[in-house]
Amino acid sequence: MELLGIWIAAILTLAVYSFLYKDNPFYKFAEHLLVGLSVGFLIVIAFNDTVVPKIFDPLFVKGNMLTLIPVVLGLLMFARFSKQLTWLSRPALALYIGFGAGASIPANMQSYILAQIKATISPFAELASVGDIINAVIVLIGLATILIYFYFSKKHEGAFGIAAKTGIYILMIFFGATFGFTVMARISLLIGRVSFLMKDWLHLMS
Amino acid sequence: MSFWDKITKIDRRIIFVVILLSVVFPLLFNFMLPNKITKEVADTYNFIESLPEGSVVVFSFDHDAATVPEMRPMGTALLDHVFSRGLKVVGMAFRAEGVTLGNKIFQDVAAKYGMIEGEDFVMLGFRPEITSGVLGLCENVSRLYPKDYRGIELSEIPLMQRVHSYRDIALVISVSDDDTPVIWVNYANARYQVPIVPAITAVMATTFYPFLQEKQIVGMVPGLKGAAEYEQLIRKPGDASVGMSAQSISHLVIILFVIVGNIGYFMAKKQRKNF
Repeated sequence: MELLGIWIAAILTLAVYSFLYKDNPFYKFAEHLLVGLSVGFLIVIAFNDTVVPKIFDPLFVKGNMLTLIPVVLGLLMFARFSKQLTWLSRPALALYIGFGAGASIPANMQSYILAQIKATISPFAELASVGDIINAVIVLIGLATILIYFYFSKKHEGAFGIAAKTGIYILMIFFGATFGFTVMARISLLIGRVSFLMKDWLHLMS
Repeated sequence: MSFWDKITKIDRRIIFVVILLSVVFPLLFNFMLPNKITKEVADTYNFIESLPEGSVVVFSFDHDAATVPEMRPMGTALLDHVFSRGLKVVGMAFRAEGVTLGNKIFQDVAAKYGMIEGEDFVMLGFRPEITSGVLGLCENVSRLYPKDYRGIELSEIPLMQRVHSYRDIALVISVSDDDTPVIWVNYANARYQVPIVPAITAVMATTFYPFLQEKQIVGMVPGLKGAAEYEQLIRKPGDASVGMSAQSISHLVIILFVIVGNIGYFMAKKQRKNF
């Protein structure tokens, strides 16, 4: 059975990579199979791990009628499929958006803004090591110049223009680093598949 | 067509074959290159080393099957270290495929250390909507997960008798192929000061460096390179260490193509100008 699984996985891997030569029915088959399996898997897992323990058990085993409130609100979301009944979905949607915004706005303020401002300033305030201060100066220059680049209410010329241009270069370095990491990630996936083919399928690697 | 024009128009399929060969040969000949350990990976290792025996570590498997070649080596290396230190593990997933993929790692590594399911580790299962899930863990784990993935009530699982909320959790490791660990940072760390370690794909690495600066995360394990570094730290070279030599050689090939492509572009431009 395991051998059969390895052969199926190997053939599907080759079918997917055949797209690199050109689009073909083998690739299409593998792609559709992946989509179908993923959706089917998600439905089964969601039903077993969420619907059963969070809805069926509380309602029918424990008799907790309060569970009906989120169940009804959830079902109202499906009213969006009908033009006449779409208004019914709004209370549930409003609750969901309200929860999302209420929970995420303060959390994002804390993590992305306050903590980052503190991290930018703290090496100077704490009189950290020379290395830390040099790093902090680079971060501060990067922060200031990129903010200047995204300030469009003043023409980018003179000293302001130089700062904005510096901001672009720093952004380019960031994009380069991100692209480098992306290449690394994609090659890792290739290494994974090649290792599988060579080790488990062809037994060329120990 | 001049030589330089030809250089800029190499058939992409030739490039694919060369990249493939640059991956195959190092794997075939078990070619190893040195891999320097970075601070963020060492910090993760040192933090786990500093945890008292019996502390509870949460592993959240928030990734799909597509990124297994990157996620599995780092999940395996981290879990190996955690079990070797005598720490307890609670697993969960906010992506459906994460349960099965994470559980496979749990079963493989636990078997090596003779860990018992329910006493030393437990896989709780999948929950959709990560924000409410991460927030829900602050109050009562059993409200979020009344049963584990096998359908056993949490009240019947020995390990879960002492894990009720973030107060009982020493570390959260989010093994993720997207920015899911940001949610752990935003809610579990910012509100409840739970230490977080993102074990992430290389694509996501730059997203998390700002969080290191303010120590919102105690460390991070980025991509196959991070996994290889971790394997070095625990002295158990595995799939990531083997893969890193192929990674380095293929990067050299890509850099070479970029340089040759750029030289070709500028030389072809110069030739056109001269004519």
